[in-house]
Amino acid sequence: MLEITDLKKHFPIRGGVLPKQVAAIHAVDGVSFNIERGETLGLVGESGCGKTTLARTVLRLIEADAGTVRYMGRELLKLNRKEMRKVRLEMAMVFQNPGGSLNPRMTVADIIGEPLDIHNLARGDERKRRILELIERVGLAPFHMYRYPHEFSGGQTQRIGIARALAVNPKLLVADEPVSSLDVSVRAQILNLLKDLQKELGLTYLYISHDLSTVEHMSDRVAVMYVGKLIELAPVKEIYNNPQHPYTEALISAIPVPGQRASKKRIILKGTVPTPIDPPPGCRFNPRCPYTKPICRRVDPELIEVKKGHFVACHLRK
Amino acid sequence: MGEALLRTNGLKTHFFTAEGIVKAVDGVNLRINKGEALGLVGESGCGKSTLALSILRLIREPGKIVEGEIWFEGEDLLRKSDEEMRNVRGAKISMVFQNPISSMNPVFTVGSQIAEAINLHQDVQKHEISERVVEILDKVGIPDPSERMKDYPHEYSGGMTQRAMIAMALSCNPRLLIADEPTTNLDVTIQAQILELMKALREDFGASILLIGHDLGVISEISDRIGVMYAGKLVEYSDLAGIFEKTKHPYTQALLESIPRLGTEQERLLIIRGTVPRLINPPSGCRFHPRCDHAMKICSEQEPPLIEVGQGHEVACFLYS
Repeated sequence: MLEITDLKKHFPIRGGVLPKQVAAIHAVDGVSFNIERGETLGLVGESGCGKTTLARTVLRLIEADAGTVRYMGRELLKLNRKEMRKVRLEMAMVFQNPGGSLNPRMTVADIIGEPLDIHNLARGDERKRRILELIERVGLAPFHMYRYPHEFSGGQTQRIGIARALAVNPKLLVADEPVSSLDVSVRAQILNLLKDLQKELGLTYLYISHDLSTVEHMSDRVAVMYVGKLIELAPVKEIYNNPQHPYTEALISAIPVPGQRASKKRIILKGTVPTPIDPPPGCRFNPRCPYTKPICRRVDPELIEVKKGHFVACHLRK
Repeated sequence: MGEALLRTNGLKTHFFTAEGIVKAVDGVNLRINKGEALGLVGESGCGKSTLALSILRLIREPGKIVEGEIWFEGEDLLRKSDEEMRNVRGAKISMVFQNPISSMNPVFTVGSQIAEAINLHQDVQKHEISERVVEILDKVGIPDPSERMKDYPHEYSGGMTQRAMIAMALSCNPRLLIADEPTTNLDVTIQAQILELMKALREDFGASILLIGHDLGVISEISDRIGVMYAGKLVEYSDLAGIFEKTKHPYTQALLESIPRLGTEQERLLIIRGTVPRLINPPSGCRFHPRCDHAMKICSEQEPPLIEVGQGHEVACFLYS
C-alpha cells in the first residue's frame, strides 16, 4: 500500500554572523520500508530517533529532502498541492497530546466537522448525521456534540481526536504515541477502540510508540529506528523472540515486566543516544554496542534480509 | 515483620478549593520498614504524590494535612516545628522528582547544588565538600565527575540529570528516599540504567525507598512490597507475589488485566468501565464500587476497612470480610 524508499529529511542549523548553514540534524537518514494494506506496522525507537519526523514526512506535513513515497502506485512527493489534498483524504493522523491537538474554542461537533468542511464532504443535515455517527463510533454520546474539549477527560479527548481523524474516511491512519499520555485503565480503552476500528473499517495503521509492550499488542510487524536509521524490521513475534540487532535485543531486555524482579538477563547499554547532528561514523550504534568490530566504526551496515521478512542492519548478521 | 521506619496513621490531606474540598489523601495507613523498598502505584490523581509530599510536609495552600500522624524514627513529623522539619528534609528523608531538569536550579552548577545540600546538613570542612561531591557523582555513574561537576544542568542529558538528582538526594545518607516517578520521562534504555543504579545504591546506602509510579513493571523491579492506591485510599498492600499472584482487590485485578503483557496474545484488553472519580465528591462507601463488577449492596453504604487476608497481605474490600 505504501512503499517508502531511501527517505531523507535533514533540518538545517543556521549560525554565524551571516546566517548560513553550519550543520544539519539528520532526523531521517535513508529509510526504506513498506506498509501492507490492512496491517499495523509498529515503529519504535527512543526519543529523538526520528520516528515522528518519518511519519510527518510520509504524510508530507513536512517536505522530504530525498527519497520516494509511493502510495497505491502514486509518487506522493511529486504531487502538487491540489493532488496531495485529494490523497490526504485517505490518510489521517492521531496525535500524542489529545488536549493540545484540539482547538479549545471549537465545539466537538465543529472539530469533527472541520475536515468535512475543508474537503467539502458533507453539508447541512448530512454533515450533522455524519458527525453523530462518528461520535458514537468512538464511544462518545450524542450530547457531547456541543461541548468544548476542556470538558473532557484525557481518554475522551483522544476519542475526539480519533473521530476527527476518521471523518475523511481514511484508509491509512498514523497514530503517533496515541496512548502515552493516558492512564493505564484508559489506555486499554483506546487500544481496544483502535483495534475495533481497524477490523470494522479495514484500516491500515502506522503505530508509533516508544512503549514496546503496547507496540507488541497492536502490531503485525515492527520496525526499530535508531538515530535516523531503520535498523531492524520483522514480524512482531519474530522481533520479540528472536531480535537480531544488538540494539533491539537490549531494548527488549530493558522492558520492565510487572510482577518480576529483574531476574532475567538484562543488557544495560552504556551511554546515551548520540545526537543526530553529528552521528558517529559507521554503524550509529557502535559506541554503545557490546559487540563492536573494527568494520562497525567505518562502514554503515545496510538493511538486509536475514530470514524471510526479517530485515536487519548489522555487520554481525552477514 | 521488620522494624518500621515510617508509619502513617489515618493520614488525611485535603485541598480546600473554590469548588469544594478535594480529599486527595483520605485516611491512609502506610508502613515502610527499615531497609525496605515500598512501591506505591495508582493512576493519576489517586493521591500518591500528595501522600509523598505530605510525608515531607511540603503541602502548600490550599492544601492541608487535616488529620493523622506520621511516625518517623519514633517521632511524629506533624508535631515538629518548621525549623525541625528542615533538618529532616534532605538529611533524613530526601526526594527525587519526576522531572529532573526542572528540579535543578539552571543558574548554578550541578556540583554547587550538591555541595549546598551537603553544607546545609552535614558538618563537613569546606575543602572536603568538593571531594564529597566528586565521590557521590562517581557513585551514581557520572563519567569524569571532577570535570562534569562544573557543568550546568542544561549541559546534562535527561538520564544524567536524574543521576545527579539521585546523587543530591543521597548526599546526606538519608534513611528514606522518596522517588516520585523517577524514570517516567526517560527512554527505555536509560530507564533500565537508572533502575539498575537505584538497586545498587539501595544495597550500598541501606536506605529505605518509597517508589511512586504508575508503571507496574518499573515498580516491581525495585519494590519488596507494593501498595495500590485508588481515589485517595490504599486498597491493597502486599509483597510482590501477593499483588501479582494472589491478587485480591477487584481494582488491582482490573489494573493488571488492562496492561498489555509481553509474550502473551490478548486480542482485547480488559477495560475498567467508567473513569477515575473526582475527589471533590467521591462515591459513597467503597470508592471503586461504581466501576466494580463484584459490587454488592454494602459496598455503596459502608467504607471497607483495610484488613489482613494473608501473611502481610492487606486489602480493603467487602468480598474478603
